[in-house]
Amino acid sequence: MSKIDDTRKGDTSNEQLFTLKKWNAVAVWSWDVECDTCAICRVQVMDACLRCQADNKQDGCVVVWGECNHSFHNCCMSLWVEQNNRCPLCQKEWVIQGTGK
Amino acid sequence: MITLKKKLQEAEAKKGNNSLGPQSIDRRATIRDKLLTKEIAEIGDHLNSNCQVDFENPDKIYEFTVIIKPDEGWWKGGVFRFSVFVSEDYNIQPPLVKCITRLWHPNISLDGNVCLSILRDHSLDGSGWAPTRSIKDVIWGLYSLFIDLVDFDDPLNIEAADEYKRNPKQFKQSVDTYLYRYAKQ
Repeated sequence: MSKIDDTRKGDTSNEQLFTLKKWNAVAVWSWDVECDTCAICRVQVMDACLRCQADNKQDGCVVVWGECNHSFHNCCMSLWVEQNNRCPLCQKEWVIQGTGK
Repeated sequence: MITLKKKLQEAEAKKGNNSLGPQSIDRRATIRDKLLTKEIAEIGDHLNSNCQVDFENPDKIYEFTVIIKPDEGWWKGGVFRFSVFVSEDYNIQPPLVKCITRLWHPNISLDGNVCLSILRDHSLDGSGWAPTRSIKDVIWGLYSLFIDLVDFDDPLNIEAADEYKRNPKQFKQSVDTYLYRYAKQ
């Protein structure tokens, strides 16, 4: 990122040792959710869930976010809420915040 | 009137139903086996000399035996075997666990029913089964039943719990009687 400036003009203390000649900005991004693996089928939420993979229905498999900020595959979660309407991670009542791909 | 056409239609309908039923069970079984394969690969790291798993038939990874050998507590020195069956609805439904060693325990009945919160499919307080749990947690739960999860206040074997409350010494004697008769190596 930086190179030592080799134009030396003696050893005085206020001399500029480095000049910045070039820099590259690097940005990282992640989803604004707490987890990226579906805790139910244990596949990444951005990939299709285990059941949709088996059925070859990859395109229809969407992610669902709860108000607790936990995310799962929508199909995995709909199976689970039939039995218990709580987030399996934090046990709070399951309220959908949104769904998406 | 019985006609050939009607007969054929009936046979066709029957065939259709048959092919639909097993197919969906097969599919669920495949999902279950995939989840289990992943879990079993990681299970080894968590087992120790107190907890072991025995897969009798490698083609049926959904049926296995968990062997618990407590090295402390009331049941120290015993070898307790639990049969585990994982249904096609895993991991929405918990595994089914039966104790196949007879023992005197407040939370395990003499006919092998096990009272362990994570094995319950319904619970109001969130201590029951959840798909975030795994076979590893079940094994640890079973081990803990002999150590710190022993609960005399919410018994399945009421007689055992009562005996403990009346006379802990006598309870220990009963535990040992069963242990020497059924749970020795």
